[in-house]
Amino acid sequence: MIKLKNIEKVYRTSTIETLALNEINLEVGKGEFLSIMGPSGCGKSTLLNIMGLLDEPSKGEITVDNETISGFSDKKLAHFRNQKLGFIFQSYHLINDLPVLDNVELPLLYRSSSASERTQLATEALQKVGLSNRMKHYPTQLSGGQKQRVAIARAIVGRPEIILADEPTGNLDSAMGNEIMDILINLNKNDGTTIVMVTHDENMAKKTNRLVRLFDGTQVM
Amino acid sequence: MFKHLFKLIWKKKKSNFLMMLEIFVSFLILFAVWTLSFYNYRNYSKPSGIDHENVWAVFIDFNTDSDSLKNIYRDLVRQKLKTYPEIEAFAFSSSNMPYSFSSSNNNISYKGNTTHAEIMSVDPSYPDVLKMKLTEGRWFTEGDKVNKIKPIIVTRRMKEELFGNENALGKIIGEKDDKRQVVGVVSHFKFENDFQPESSCMIEPLGGWPSDMLVRIKPGTTVETEMKISKALVQLGKDWSVEIQHLDNMKANKNRIIWVPILILFIVCSFLIFNVALGLFGVLFQTISRRKQEIGVRRAIGATKGHILWHFVGETAVITTFGIILGLFFAIQFPLLNVFDLEAFVYIVGIVLAIISIYVLVIACALFPSKQASEIYPAVALHEE
Repeated sequence: MIKLKNIEKVYRTSTIETLALNEINLEVGKGEFLSIMGPSGCGKSTLLNIMGLLDEPSKGEITVDNETISGFSDKKLAHFRNQKLGFIFQSYHLINDLPVLDNVELPLLYRSSSASERTQLATEALQKVGLSNRMKHYPTQLSGGQKQRVAIARAIVGRPEIILADEPTGNLDSAMGNEIMDILINLNKNDGTTIVMVTHDENMAKKTNRLVRLFDGTQVM
Repeated sequence: MFKHLFKLIWKKKKSNFLMMLEIFVSFLILFAVWTLSFYNYRNYSKPSGIDHENVWAVFIDFNTDSDSLKNIYRDLVRQKLKTYPEIEAFAFSSSNMPYSFSSSNNNISYKGNTTHAEIMSVDPSYPDVLKMKLTEGRWFTEGDKVNKIKPIIVTRRMKEELFGNENALGKIIGEKDDKRQVVGVVSHFKFENDFQPESSCMIEPLGGWPSDMLVRIKPGTTVETEMKISKALVQLGKDWSVEIQHLDNMKANKNRIIWVPILILFIVCSFLIFNVALGLFGVLFQTISRRKQEIGVRRAIGATKGHILWHFVGETAVITTFGIILGLFFAIQFPLLNVFDLEAFVYIVGIVLAIISIYVLVIACALFPSKQASEIYPAVALHEE
């Protein structure tokens, strides 16, 4: 599904060069639930950004669904992200000026789908995460757990094959975190969605199929 | 997408209201400037109906109050001027000659219709001096002086206001001993300045008092000739004074009275609009830098650079549209209530030009910050605090 070959990421300033990722070789199979762990600053989020085509590697090759992502135009990358990828972030990244339903509809806005189709798909996604009663609320009126469920609904509304989650339980207490984790496990098991999750929480990582550990930008396990 | 933009704008209605208000005020300013400019341009582009080149305005003080003496003096002047080959034509005129600061006007009525008209008294040779062309009828002649009813020439505007679509020729205005009959119609006659709209004007044969005149000279006539003629006229009578002015200079002076205030207004408005543009630019930059995370999210979920660019331009355009709609409500009252007695078309052009200017201004201000926003790298935007 996702194949990373000799991925290297270097951040350069005029005076300093930082190696964020070094020779990462990783393959994520279809329907797999993979977690990435490591200490802060080890390059987990950088790796996830590269897998999510939000950032470019300095060296190496990314293949998603047997398609090598190199030299893709901005338009093609955006289309690829819209169709195949869903993102969940630690701090939810919801748009506070839009009600829940509109937040969830957002990925569909960049597709040629009608307003009624968007509403229907968004409602279904919200039902899936148990928030159909909060559709007209604004994110500021929701708890952290509810916000993350909205973010999950937004990630799955376009029915992507891959979900990339960057510490989705990081800002939640354990009970909320477990709820979110259950939703992700369900998505993986029932819908066959491939999930790559960055986490600090060993317990959460244990619930996934496979664990990858990073240390100082290098894959250690 | 419009609904989406509208929702975002509505949620931030308080901050957007200020921007809308700024656009509303700018729209009204631009509406006023464009309407005024278009009105004056439109008048300017119409023919003046006279040829002011090589024409002198000669102001003679005969130093007498007697009308009979003035008549004799006028004949003396006529005879003298005929001796100069440099002079093509000349005519005595009331002091409200073209581009002068004098005016003589009155309300003229005909069967319930009234017009406020400038009234000029001139010699029959007047059209030869100013090269005026009639569209209907004839000019009055020396022979008309014996008629009881004064023959008059009217402008097309006066004809339309008094007689509508009827034929003006032969129509008699006035009562009892003060009757005038229309013998000719002139289409264009701008006697105040080049920016003057079509006006009512009535030209009648010379009465008793005028001692001012218009003189058409041959092209290339020198200053020496001007001095020679001036001197010769002064010497015709005791304590006469003569002043010669060039009609093109008089016209330039009168034009200046119109265009200088417009230019000042234009400069002041440009300064105001420049400030508004700077304000908009700043607000948009601030808005975009506050919404970097949102930009990151949109990019992550499938927005292209183009989507981001047009999203912000679109948001600005929607706010602008609301500001313009508010402004339109006020602007449209001008043609509806016929304020300042201008044609509705002038206001409509003013409105259209103001709308175009506002959109150009706002989109130009929005484009650069929006372009900057679209260039933000998604991974970077998502980690902005």
